[in-house]
Amino acid sequence: MKGAALWIAAALALSAVAFVLGPYQTDIYRKLLLWITLALGYNFLFGISGQVAFSHFTFYGIGAYAIVILIFQAGLPLPLAAAAGVGLCVVLALAVAIPATRLDGFYLALATLAFAQLFVVVLNEGGAVTGGTGGLASYRLPPLFGARLDGPRYTVVIVLLLLATLAVLWRLDRSHFGRACRAVRDNPEAAAAMGIDVRRTRIAAYAITSALAGIAGMVYAFVDNTVNPPIFGLENAFLLLFMVIVGGSGSHAGAIVGAALLYLLPFVLSPLIGHHHALVFGVVMVLVVLFQPRGLVGLADARARRRAAP
Amino acid sequence: MNAPLLRARALTKRFGGLTAVADLDLEVHAGEILGVIGPNGAGKSTTFNMIAGATAPTAGSIDFDGAPIAGRPPHEIAARGIMRTFQHNQPFAGLSLAENVMVGMHTRFSAPLWKLIAGSRAAQRAERDARARAEALLDFVGLAEQRADDVGTLSFGQGRLLEIARGLAGEPRLMLFDEPAAGLTPAECERVAAIIRDIAARGIAVLLIEHDMRFLMALAERVAVLNFGRKIAEGAPAAVRADPAVLAAYLGSPAGDAHA
Ligand SMILES: Nc1ncnc2c1ncn2[C@@H]1O[C@H](COP(=O)(O)OP(=O)(O)OP(=O)(O)O)[C@@H](O)[C@H]1O
Ligand SMILES: [Mg+2]
Repeated sequence: MKGAALWIAAALALSAVAFVLGPYQTDIYRKLLLWITLALGYNFLFGISGQVAFSHFTFYGIGAYAIVILIFQAGLPLPLAAAAGVGLCVVLALAVAIPATRLDGFYLALATLAFAQLFVVVLNEGGAVTGGTGGLASYRLPPLFGARLDGPRYTVVIVLLLLATLAVLWRLDRSHFGRACRAVRDNPEAAAAMGIDVRRTRIAAYAITSALAGIAGMVYAFVDNTVNPPIFGLENAFLLLFMVIVGGSGSHAGAIVGAALLYLLPFVLSPLIGHHHALVFGVVMVLVVLFQPRGLVGLADARARRRAAP
Repeated sequence: MNAPLLRARALTKRFGGLTAVADLDLEVHAGEILGVIGPNGAGKSTTFNMIAGATAPTAGSIDFDGAPIAGRPPHEIAARGIMRTFQHNQPFAGLSLAENVMVGMHTRFSAPLWKLIAGSRAAQRAERDARARAEALLDFVGLAEQRADDVGTLSFGQGRLLEIARGLAGEPRLMLFDEPAAGLTPAECERVAAIIRDIAARGIAVLLIEHDMRFLMALAERVAVLNFGRKIAEGAPAAVRADPAVLAAYLGSPAGDAHA
């Protein structure tokens, strides 16, 4: 029960912040929460199940576009549109992962790169449905069960999204499924000999994390109240990868730290060095990969252990 | 005599032009320790890999408990009750010792994903029980003191003991050991021998590959000798040791000459 209290305290604290921020900070805060949510899911896929895929941000886009199109063009009520959006993400994830995992892990990387590129092409060429290069705009979140969720209340929705995502991943990680994912990552041959269906485990991890990204995308759609193609290019897919690696892949805390650091860094650096912050990113990445493969969290662990040692 | 638990018939594996295992017949009964011995490259590990599903036979059949398993995927064979250790330790480096052992119990968990996400009490209880069983298995193989260590810091012998605990965690009916004593200290050898005897006494069938005649002779009731993929002798350890074909194989002269 101590656990439940901790979750509630986190929800209250993160929600309380929403009510003291001005409009500019609110936007940054919301996107910070969304980046953390995405990084948590991507960490499960990349860091825990050990799959190199570049489609996580694409599913975020699919969720965002799907909910807008389903509500405002297909006329579905919000809950139905959300359910259909999740279903779409799962179906697409299976369509990518089932053939790609038949082969070596390298092919999932290739297939998801192609999938990410294809998605942007579809967005640009989608005519009235996707709004083409300009995307979709001028829509508003319909009231949910009679309540209008806007302002700080919508920020609370994002807080709940983050915590729910973390809770799902946390529980999966601490189950036989999470252990199977890590075993498959570390040694697929031995994992199979222990009774783990390696391919099925990979497909399940991919489908679940893709669906979580899609759900985050649905929430994102009503943050800016516009969705457009450039955001969903590969740049953000790589940023997500950097976040997880810099923070410490395989660790929830690492995903949170990495996402917060790399999302907020440009706000600090840009005024100082302009667009060169991308260069700083690259250098940080290389340093982490070379000197601290377990990321910032690994660094903190190592320091704590050194202090604990007599 | 009751039906064997494992029966391989005319098992053959070819890698391109190389025949690693040829026309091999093997039978193992519950509670029995069958030794498989032979010089380097004789096809011992390949035989194991076919039984465990890591590689499909080119020809021949394998029946486990009456059901054909040749060519089935390894996870399915593990679920049927065949667990193994590897000739070269294959730990899960990112997991704790207890978690490594718990991976061996994978097929014993039944909760579907949605129940795990929903935080099912039954699933959490299964997880706690599994952890307790893993700790007990670590005690059983003699890794109690190392339980908090990083898997990467274990000695070779300790890594081998961990693999044995991990295999036993699956509650196998047939356990495959691929050279379990190779590279171990004399004390560790003793420990492994005691564990293997204990397993067989519980009614588990044991298939034991060994290079080291002495280790095997002290354990196995029956020994099959492979050379160049063929079984050249089978029987009680003492009889096999005196077999001229076996002596020839171990002295390095071609098996064919010894037969002639
Ligand atoms: N995947 C493979 N591809 C090609 N040849 C292989 C493969 N695996 C094994 N072999 C060959 O098959 C033969 C039998 O190998 P195997 O590993 O079964 O021998 P072994 O009896 O276990 O030997 P050792 O005592 O050295 O472990 C060897 O000649 C080996 O080189
Ligand atoms: Mg071998």
